[in-house]
Amino acid sequence: MSDTPIVRRRSTGERLNEISDARVNDAKVQSQYQPYKDAAWGFVNHWYPALFSHELPEDAVEGIQICGVQIVLRRVNGKIHALKDQCIHRGVRLSAKPMCLTKDTISCWYHGFTFDLESGKLATIAGNPDDKLIGTTGLTTYPVEEVAGMIFVFVREDDYPDQDVPPLAHDLPIRFPENDERFPHPLWPSAPSLLDKDIVAYGMHRTGYANWRIACENGFDNAHILVHKDNAIIQAKDWVLPLGIVPTSDDCIAPVEDENGPKGLVQWLFTEKWNPILENAKVDLKIENVNARPYRTSVFLPGVLMVENWPEEHVVQFEWYVPITDDTYEYWEILARVCPTEKERKDFKYRYDYLFKPLCLHGFNNCDLYAREAMQDFYADGTGWDNEQLVATDVSPITWRKIASRWNRGIAKPGRGVDGTIKASSIRMKRTADGKRPAYFVEKIEEDQ
Amino acid sequence: MSSVRNVTLSFRDGKATSVAVQQGDSVLDAALAAGIPVIHQCRSGSCSSCMAKLVEGRAGMRAGASSTLLRSEYDAGDRLLCLTEPETDCAFTLNYESNAGSTQVAKAHAFVDSIDKVATNVVRLRLELAEGAWLDFKPGQFIQVRVPGTYVTRSYSPASTAADLPKIELLIRVLEDGVMSKWLEHEAKADDVLEIEGPFGSFFLREKVPAPHIMVAGGTGLAPILSMIDTLRRQPGRKPPILLSFGCATPEQLFALDDLELRRQWLPNLTTRISVDHHASGELLCGNPVDAICEADVAHENAVAYLCGPPRMIEAATMKLLNLGLRAENIYAEQFAASN
Repeated sequence: MSDTPIVRRRSTGERLNEISDARVNDAKVQSQYQPYKDAAWGFVNHWYPALFSHELPEDAVEGIQICGVQIVLRRVNGKIHALKDQCIHRGVRLSAKPMCLTKDTISCWYHGFTFDLESGKLATIAGNPDDKLIGTTGLTTYPVEEVAGMIFVFVREDDYPDQDVPPLAHDLPIRFPENDERFPHPLWPSAPSLLDKDIVAYGMHRTGYANWRIACENGFDNAHILVHKDNAIIQAKDWVLPLGIVPTSDDCIAPVEDENGPKGLVQWLFTEKWNPILENAKVDLKIENVNARPYRTSVFLPGVLMVENWPEEHVVQFEWYVPITDDTYEYWEILARVCPTEKERKDFKYRYDYLFKPLCLHGFNNCDLYAREAMQDFYADGTGWDNEQLVATDVSPITWRKIASRWNRGIAKPGRGVDGTIKASSIRMKRTADGKRPAYFVEKIEEDQ
Repeated sequence: MSSVRNVTLSFRDGKATSVAVQQGDSVLDAALAAGIPVIHQCRSGSCSSCMAKLVEGRAGMRAGASSTLLRSEYDAGDRLLCLTEPETDCAFTLNYESNAGSTQVAKAHAFVDSIDKVATNVVRLRLELAEGAWLDFKPGQFIQVRVPGTYVTRSYSPASTAADLPKIELLIRVLEDGVMSKWLEHEAKADDVLEIEGPFGSFFLREKVPAPHIMVAGGTGLAPILSMIDTLRRQPGRKPPILLSFGCATPEQLFALDDLELRRQWLPNLTTRISVDHHASGELLCGNPVDAICEADVAHENAVAYLCGPPRMIEAATMKLLNLGLRAENIYAEQFAASN
């Protein structure tokens, strides 16, 4: 009788229903975007929106998390500093109980480790000023850019060198009129950019409960517009929003891969390359609205959507889906317009408050939030990435996945020692019991009176 | 009076240790007995894992032992420590960090997932580790596989990476009389179980090197190079420019072209040049993969090179790259030779 142990196969689940050979995402296509499948925690070494300017007034301190990296921001004399929000001593979040003892440092409130805001270096320890650790280590710093009332942070890995940090423009959508010839827009005027002179941007950000990729792909998917069919603004303005838009040719999407610029894609909507579907007799659906509403979607790394000519001329909608963890993201919706005069600024603010915000950012985009959540379970454990059966309209997410796979500056590793890595930690469960959802902002310590 | 020699071994990260080598012992024997993590495997001069450079003193190779060390390598100071006996006190440098040799070698069982002929003389063998089995490896290292029903083992470098485990992909050159080749041709089928052991070898990708990488692969020498390229593409931050020169004798012997196209898709910085000795057509270059490297390819003083293929290719590539300005310590090579 042999004493060698029985050698067994690793177990795999039985499949209940077959995957169709007709699916667009066969094994060969899937392998082209394998890096995207690996990027559950996001793409690191990119510029992301962190806060609105008004969320960080002078001397304020806030803590956030992007791609599993905890970041603390402080504004001093108008300038914003961003450092890793994890004390080098024993990992405490500096932002949980802000202690800024001087104008050029931030201290950890627990043991007094004090860091220089500019360099991140450990400058002193409040109760231990001669320790030999001082000056030999420090916190990672993150470059910051503030434009159009938004604070952007370059979320990088600890050893990503300063000289490799690209300009913010490389992680924002392409601009007009520079791209008028390459991407003509005969049906609408040039869309603005956050980098334009006199740009005014309004909007909001809220936490979404899905993986950032599910959120991102939703924005420019030309079949998902079905969920918007019954939105109030569509009916109030009698807009023609098709049931779906199907591609008619292989070049329906133009990749953008210039050497020193944004990387992404532009969809040739409102050209003969895309065919709007306005009725389907089989399910008794017919779009009978009469007002044309031309727009064009494009998406760029690290995951920023541009909707030109939306929700009206001279206005552009930008969206970001900033990964917080692998199952939460911060959803940014921004509407921007160039407003050179005081009157235009006032009118735009009024229109934003009373039309765009209620009917578009909420009325139109709220469905996107629940739609993404409805898809999350399928993808959460990896099943969806292998077993999804995609169709012709999915050329949009497939192209995005390939371009993102090729041009991302790094795949974020799962967060280590941060909130959200252990899903059911006692702290998270305590917060849930207190009625608080998993969030983007750090929970600040409130001392009982 | 027996002569004991003092031998110093220095690793790439600066750590150095000394060991006393008794007369008649090889440097490797003494080092392992003293617990120094020198990478090794065959202990008989064939695998080149224990390669080191003699920088001080005199040390020759054991009388009567055959080895795969090339004359040019010996003259340049390279030694295989398993066959090296010091004549005087001496010092050697090892081209890897002090912690590189401390990965545990493990034995494992693996199931055959598929056997595919991908070229006239190359078989792609896909394996999956059995339940409860595990081994680790650095990109470029090799594992030993026992041919079922025999006591014969063969060494192969996975074309896959450790991130792909429990799946392992091997690219095997089939020879007319090869023991493994015969098994693959006549007996092997899905769900067969293989005994494997590893990792071995000091030919592996040194990580976090930003300088341009030049990879030269002949035949199934492409396997460890593919593992390195896939490791580089998963590396965060900026990826170094990579030039891969891959060659086989004829177009029918080429393989993995789809895989290379995929890597070109994933890595904007990857350039590939594919050569064949005879019957080149279309995009294929005529000649060997060393011919395909030119002066313009070596523009950076810190460029590194990884070479894998037949001994003559290694020799030619090394000489060419040294002439073009690469530094000797930045050239890593592994010879692939038929083991009959």
